[in-house]
Amino acid sequence: MSDKIRNFSIIAHIDHGKSTLADRLLEYTHTVEKRDMRAQVLDTMDLERERGITIKAQAIRMNYQGHILNLIDTPGHVDFSYEVSRSLAACEGALLLVDATQGIEAQTLANAHLAKQNNLVIIPVINKVDLPAAEPARIAEEIHNIFGIEEKDIILASAKDGTGIEEILRAIISRIPPPTGSAAEPLQALIFDSHYDSFRGVIAYIRIVNGAIRTGQKIKLMGAEVLFEVQEIGTLKLGLVPADKLGPGEVGYIIAGIKEVKDCRVGDTITAADRPAAHPLPGYKPIKPMVFCGFYPLSGEDYENLKEAIGKLQLNDAALTFEPETSAALGFGLRCGFLGLLHLEIVQERLEREFNLNLIATAPNVIYRVNKLNNSAIIVDNPSQMPPPAEIKSIEEPYLKLTIFTPAEYVGAAMTITTEKRGNFINMEYLDQKRVMLTFEIPLAEVISDYHDLLKSVTRGYASMDYELIGYRESALVKMDILLNSEPVDALSTVVHRDYAYQRGKLLVEKLREVIPRHQFAIPIQASLGVKVIARENIAAIRKNVLAKCYGGDITRKRKLLEKQKEGKKRMKRVGSVDIPQEAFLAVLRLGK
Amino acid sequence: MTALYVHVPFCVKKCNYCDFVSYAGKEELIDKYVEALGNELQSLLTAYHLQLTTLFFGGGTPTLLEPKHFDKIINTLIGHWKFDIGHSELSIEANPGTADQKKLRALRQLGINRLSIGAQSFNERHLKTLGRIHDAKTIFQFYDDAQATGFANINLDLIFALPGQTLADWLADLQTAIKLQPEHISTYNLQIEDGTAFSLWEKGGALRSADEGIALSMYEYAIETLTAAGYKHYEISNFAKPGRECQHNLTYWWNENYLGIGAGAHSHVNGNRWANPNCVEKYITPSSFLPLFKGENVESAAGKETSGGETLWLGLRLLDGLPAEKFYGFEKEVAELTKNGLLETFNGNIKLTRRGLYLGNEVFERFV
Repeated sequence: MSDKIRNFSIIAHIDHGKSTLADRLLEYTHTVEKRDMRAQVLDTMDLERERGITIKAQAIRMNYQGHILNLIDTPGHVDFSYEVSRSLAACEGALLLVDATQGIEAQTLANAHLAKQNNLVIIPVINKVDLPAAEPARIAEEIHNIFGIEEKDIILASAKDGTGIEEILRAIISRIPPPTGSAAEPLQALIFDSHYDSFRGVIAYIRIVNGAIRTGQKIKLMGAEVLFEVQEIGTLKLGLVPADKLGPGEVGYIIAGIKEVKDCRVGDTITAADRPAAHPLPGYKPIKPMVFCGFYPLSGEDYENLKEAIGKLQLNDAALTFEPETSAALGFGLRCGFLGLLHLEIVQERLEREFNLNLIATAPNVIYRVNKLNNSAIIVDNPSQMPPPAEIKSIEEPYLKLTIFTPAEYVGAAMTITTEKRGNFINMEYLDQKRVMLTFEIPLAEVISDYHDLLKSVTRGYASMDYELIGYRESALVKMDILLNSEPVDALSTVVHRDYAYQRGKLLVEKLREVIPRHQFAIPIQASLGVKVIARENIAAIRKNVLAKCYGGDITRKRKLLEKQKEGKKRMKRVGSVDIPQEAFLAVLRLGK
Repeated sequence: MTALYVHVPFCVKKCNYCDFVSYAGKEELIDKYVEALGNELQSLLTAYHLQLTTLFFGGGTPTLLEPKHFDKIINTLIGHWKFDIGHSELSIEANPGTADQKKLRALRQLGINRLSIGAQSFNERHLKTLGRIHDAKTIFQFYDDAQATGFANINLDLIFALPGQTLADWLADLQTAIKLQPEHISTYNLQIEDGTAFSLWEKGGALRSADEGIALSMYEYAIETLTAAGYKHYEISNFAKPGRECQHNLTYWWNENYLGIGAGAHSHVNGNRWANPNCVEKYITPSSFLPLFKGENVESAAGKETSGGETLWLGLRLLDGLPAEKFYGFEKEVAELTKNGLLETFNGNIKLTRRGLYLGNEVFERFV
């Protein structure tokens, strides 16, 4: 049975055509009839369709020429690289999809490396060969240079017009090996994704490696060390298709009365409670958030709603953490942890869109390790909690290995902005005649500000980047406070490198002067290190604001003007006597020059 | 109903700052327009019980109409005055040079007893910038003609914070106006509105609006100079000799009922506000505006709450303010604004402070 199974995923950069290819495969295997096709069948969340990216992985089973083909979709963003690695671990092969007009991008390379580490067979596919700007020969050379793959093994395709789709399906069967598990071994099933369904509880997506799983069976999650009873199992078409049993190599779902996705972590191993496997499958690690920010409701009454909403999101998002915090400036809020900036933005957008909350988000920050003079060490995930300088021996911050793929003509620009963001240049390599790979080591804190936007803008959108955490390093960091009207606003505190403090302080107070509206009184804005003021600006007072004329009894128009003025203030947070607009809290992110 | 506003949307030329409902070059529609005014008025007279104390012809340039036109409207109102017409306020706006002595005399004979002259400035350069059709000499001539033909209640409109205007320029305008000794003076801070020539020029960089500090100083000059000359500062932009406050405009500020007829005219009856179409052609097409005063096209049906606040922010435009008990339900706002030095209580009334006068919108928004 399992020799007829092929498990594979698709590795591709955003916009290189992964969703279109997946749609085409579903159509050619008659999994979805053409008349039922809608663009990007697999991306179910509105946000995914709008942003054109896959946030949650999914899987689907296809039948083709007597074989079962399981496509395991992977998330397409560096924030979710752990999930990608687990999805890949559930496969024996991967399609490496490259846009014929673009070339290999940084993340594609990183994911292809992950696939190789998991011993996956890679089937290279050059997509969009129908476009006039396609350069399949150059891309083939690039694939050869990077992966050592022969040109004859590369499939030329157009997911749009159907070119090469049959060839891809045949290659999946002929090149990718069938799964090798044994039905006689104790059960080992890999959880590669899960989601929360309000009717059925958690639905986990699994790949059986060894043994078999049956309805009614008592199972154990080896990492979480919890027991459940299987209520339903089955395979995945466009919906759930219940089955009695799943055997080695099969991909499917399991429902077992699990209440929250955090009890059912991606990468964990399911085994039988009565006959457990000796070891869990390799590669499981609990995911830890890397980026933190504070969410505060604009109006204090919304605090409970915020807590409830984020609790609901957490049911379906094991990487999201939160705990209550109080800011002197903003009141009650939540300090939330995320995998990265995109993860943060998605959560914020969902809170605002799906739960109708008006939020202030403070500027994101990383986790610092602070070694104190009394030889104790503490973890700081909120700049305002940084101890006074007199108590600090040293501060360590997370560092990344950053890889940038860029056309050669933008190397200088990419180097400049990256070194200005405290990046240390490590290496430069030509991928083909036109494109270059740059490697840096850089603090995570710099990458989660506006770095990606900057890189895109100096390379006209042509560069791509990928990064991985390489550990903590000591840096000369200081806490910079912002004072409005001589009062410190804790939510505006940031941690900056000492050498950049003056420059950033100056830019930040200038930016705040732009975004904070004038008030009835003058407002001094100061940036300070400890008690030392390093930058200062002034917002002048409004001196005259009164409508002169009340023309011909047109009160409506005047009222609308006043309403607009009032509405503008409602969208701001009053701190002391100053109304601060939402964008002020993120100003520190956008200190472009 | 005691106040009736009649809008006359015709002008010889559109001024560069003007965003009122007014059109140049449509004078051939005047006859039909007055006919439509008559029809609208007739319908109103059957729908509402009018006991007028004020009538106001505004524009545009109402003096572009002929005496027979005014005759028609004023005749329609016979029997609908609360007092004798001689004891009522019948105002007309006029731009200098748009009526000769003959026309002025005719208007006076019809019972119109208050003339509001759109002088705007006495400075030739600024008059040109504004796009006015007259010079300073024409204003003086017009003023003399008005007095000679029996107008004993005259208002002068002035605008300040003009592009390139200095404090000295403004002071000269104020002093010239005072020399003429009109009964009433309005001083408006120039506001650059979308869709005007000024707005286009500002966006193109050809015009720079006055600095806020200078505008404030000019306003202070107006208050000091006019008060010293015996005018009472009774509303944010209005000054009058004792007893010469504009009764018609007080209706708006007291948030009382009024009817407006003509293109773009606004009405306020028992909490409902509505407006006629701005377009003259549409207005003169029979039946196109008729549903309006039946209350079917009510633009903003202000609920009791809004109108409560509305009475306050409109009334606060008057320097005497409003009796403190009217602020029931707004105690928090009043306390805060008082603390910030924008409101004060005087003789049982809550009123704007001097600072509140400058920052009126910051006060009014709290009652919206």
